[in-house]
Amino acid sequence: MSATAATATAAQLLGGIALAPLLPGLVQHWKARLQGRRGPTPLQPYRELRRLWGKSAVDVEGAGIVYRLAPSVAAGSVAVAVLLVPVASDAPDLGVGRDALVLAGLLALARFAVAASSWEVANGFALMGASRDLTIAVFVEAALVLALAVAALVSGTTDLVQMIAGTAGSAAWSDPALALGAVAFALVVVAETGRQPVDNPDTHLELTMIHEGPLLEYAGRDLALLQWAAAARHWLVLVLAAQVFLPHAADPRVQLALLPALLAVLCGALALTETLVAKMRILLAPRLLGIAGLVALLGIVAWLVEVT
Amino acid sequence: MSFAALVLTGVGAVGAGGLLAIPRRSFAVGLAAQAAGCLLFALGGFWALGADASAGEQFTSTFTPGVGIDALTGLFLGVLGAVGAASLAYATRYLEPTAKGRAIGALTALFLTVQVLVLVARDPLTFLVAWEAMTLVPAAVILVARADEPARRAVVFYVALTHLAGAGTWVAILLLAHEGAIGDPSAVASGSGVQVAIALAALVGMGAKAGLMPLHVWLPLAHPIAPAHISALMSGVMIKIAIYALVRVLVEWLGVLPEWLGVLVLALGALSSVAGVVYALFQHELKRLLAFHSIENVGIIVLGLGACLLLRARGADAWAAFALAAALLHTVNHALFKSLLFLGAGSFERAVGSLELDRLGGLLRRMPWTGGAFFVGAVAIAGLPPLNGFASEWTTLQSLLRVPAYGGVADGTAGALALAALAATAALAALCFVKVVGLVLLGPARREAVAHAEEAPGAMRAGVVALAGGCVLLGVAPGLLFGSLVGLAPWSSDAPTTVGLDLPGTGDFRSGGVALVLAALVGALALLRGRRVAAVAPTWACGQLVERQLDWTSAGFTKPLRLVLEDVLRPEREVVVRTEGGVVREVAYEGRVPHHFEERLYRPVTAFAMVGAHHARRLQSGRLGVYVAYLLALVLVVLTAAKLGILG
Repeated sequence: MSATAATATAAQLLGGIALAPLLPGLVQHWKARLQGRRGPTPLQPYRELRRLWGKSAVDVEGAGIVYRLAPSVAAGSVAVAVLLVPVASDAPDLGVGRDALVLAGLLALARFAVAASSWEVANGFALMGASRDLTIAVFVEAALVLALAVAALVSGTTDLVQMIAGTAGSAAWSDPALALGAVAFALVVVAETGRQPVDNPDTHLELTMIHEGPLLEYAGRDLALLQWAAAARHWLVLVLAAQVFLPHAADPRVQLALLPALLAVLCGALALTETLVAKMRILLAPRLLGIAGLVALLGIVAWLVEVT
Repeated sequence: MSFAALVLTGVGAVGAGGLLAIPRRSFAVGLAAQAAGCLLFALGGFWALGADASAGEQFTSTFTPGVGIDALTGLFLGVLGAVGAASLAYATRYLEPTAKGRAIGALTALFLTVQVLVLVARDPLTFLVAWEAMTLVPAAVILVARADEPARRAVVFYVALTHLAGAGTWVAILLLAHEGAIGDPSAVASGSGVQVAIALAALVGMGAKAGLMPLHVWLPLAHPIAPAHISALMSGVMIKIAIYALVRVLVEWLGVLPEWLGVLVLALGALSSVAGVVYALFQHELKRLLAFHSIENVGIIVLGLGACLLLRARGADAWAAFALAAALLHTVNHALFKSLLFLGAGSFERAVGSLELDRLGGLLRRMPWTGGAFFVGAVAIAGLPPLNGFASEWTTLQSLLRVPAYGGVADGTAGALALAALAATAALAALCFVKVVGLVLLGPARREAVAHAEEAPGAMRAGVVALAGGCVLLGVAPGLLFGSLVGLAPWSSDAPTTVGLDLPGTGDFRSGGVALVLAALVGALALLRGRRVAAVAPTWACGQLVERQLDWTSAGFTKPLRLVLEDVLRPEREVVVRTEGGVVREVAYEGRVPHHFEERLYRPVTAFAMVGAHHARRLQSGRLGVYVAYLLALVLVVLTAAKLGILG
């Protein structure tokens, strides 16, 4: 393994597992600044994880094995996804392949586990969140697969490493297909990270929750696992956005060097949207994501017209 | 001993088992013999597939009866055997040795035999006879099991529709025989009118039998009312045999089809998969819901077939072979998990009675084996890693992605739309099966009978657990089968020989690695989480008491989607408020999502046919003299026509 590949692997593992909570922390921090508040430090998610890890879990009356295993399954499948998504165009296979469409399956597994757990507690608010999350997921998955398909067609493969290489340079600006894919993927990022206008991560009003709803009963280490999984989702989609859909260098060393800056810019962009855009009505979110799917489809048509 | 001998012995065992099932004393032995026969089918079938060998007659367009086995027949025999063995083992305890039960036991053997006959038929005559029998035998089983009015109506509808549409099968097979094209792809010219006619007729006839939309309406009526092991065989195997016939005709015998036909097949597959799962979501009875999911999964299989046809038309032979293998892999996978789910539903029905979704709950605790296997089946059908449903949906997605990669603007766009449809279908299936496991397996029991449900007897548990094992095996190592399936394409193609799915131009789905790492991580995290629990707390519902009346229902969980799709689904709802002296006493709410295919498409056609039949009845006076007059008139008309030279 070359030195670059070793560095890329280290960055992938360290970043995906240890640095992931920094991303939502940064978004919250900057959002507070943009709104004229001082807000928590970017390290706040780590403090919360430490506090939660020190506490015992709480079992809900009548809950069984699905309730107890769901946080581990959610965190475990997102962790496999972290192994799957490389951060540069020179990275070894870590035993789980590097396919973009497998990523969609792993994210769906995490979602299934959490949603199934909400039936165990038979809590109306948890189920409300789960049913909304799964309904929106229908449109998110279609848009995600189409956006990835644009990048796959441009680069000729669904191998993420070659996808990063195939979309390198200024393709994102010069190639209309990839630009349209980027727009679609931006909306997928917003939905997958549970941010405004699709969901509001700050809400603690049960009636408006989507992603937070099924987490309502969890405490202690269970909640810590679920919060880490949410942070790792930020890492996964933001790394893909930075290294596939935004302009990036062809040299893996430059890619690695610029990654932190790109991630910071994307976190800033998320903070800015959260400040500027209000949460939309839940039933309008599918429409927004449907538009994302149509934009990605337009990207594919653009690519088809380009090559034929 | 060769695979052909195994299959022949299997037929003997199934036949003997059918006869033995008739006397009360040897009833259980008879069913066990049928299970053993099925096991022989599985062994012989997969052997033929693995060795890529054939035995017996070759395909012929003449009407000389003949039977034989090749690799594709072997694959479907293997599926029939695997599902049949589990279902028959299950049936040894599921069926009671009453007069009714013994008749069903004997008819099951007949059902298995005619399905084998369709698969091994090598001439048009044997094929068509067995094909019709395959429709009629389950109808007979349903009528033996249930004689009530709704069941009789469902059977009439089933037989009428599959026969009317089944005419397409006759047209396709007889045209093929006429052209001498059975077993000979060079006999029909590519792009000729007769090629298109055969393909369209096959899509109508075999598509109806497979439950492809819009010819699917019989399926959700007939499948739920059959006994559980017959439902498993119908949904798991019988509709797959229609897929077998489609593969033979469209992929093997017709050569390269024009592109627009590939697009049509893609469109039918996309319609079936999305509409199938959407209507499944709004079903509130478990077996009916599962039947709609069969339509969805046939749609996914047909999407793979469509990709195969388009890629072949574009000359991308390697990916065309992968697409065919993807469709066949999903066929196998769906056979496993759908029969598992139907058998599980049968166990639940036996334990608690009604399968109305809102009145079950908590069965995972009461029936850990059946419930656990059912959970595995639900995760598999939802298309989630590391189970088998994901492996075949991933290969199908990859194949659909290759349609724009190799295609022009029009068919490429169709491929992209199909890709989006499949992604949405997978997400909708996840939504649906979260609802199913939640309402059936998790949470509190919702009525007295469910709270005291007993686990099913050993043989019934063994059947579902074995099928769940199959789902895990093909999820962890789909490559075991995939390589042989790629080899089934009539054009030569390189087959990958790995345990996972390492296809060129993809990032490789290392199914074994994913499963292993996932299991290790989940296990480690569960250990880290520890057994230490602070306290058992009641559910938090904002200070409100959690009462049974507040339980979430099937309709409630799918309401967001119903609202999103309101313009398409046009749900009906009725709220009746009874007030007395200015006080609201009672609020009755009724809502339903009408099945538009049935109400908008079929009802007018049926009504028109009934009116037509009413008028035609006037001609039937029943008097001999009138019929002689009809004959005389006919002869005169024909003679006049001949005289005038109209008949040529």
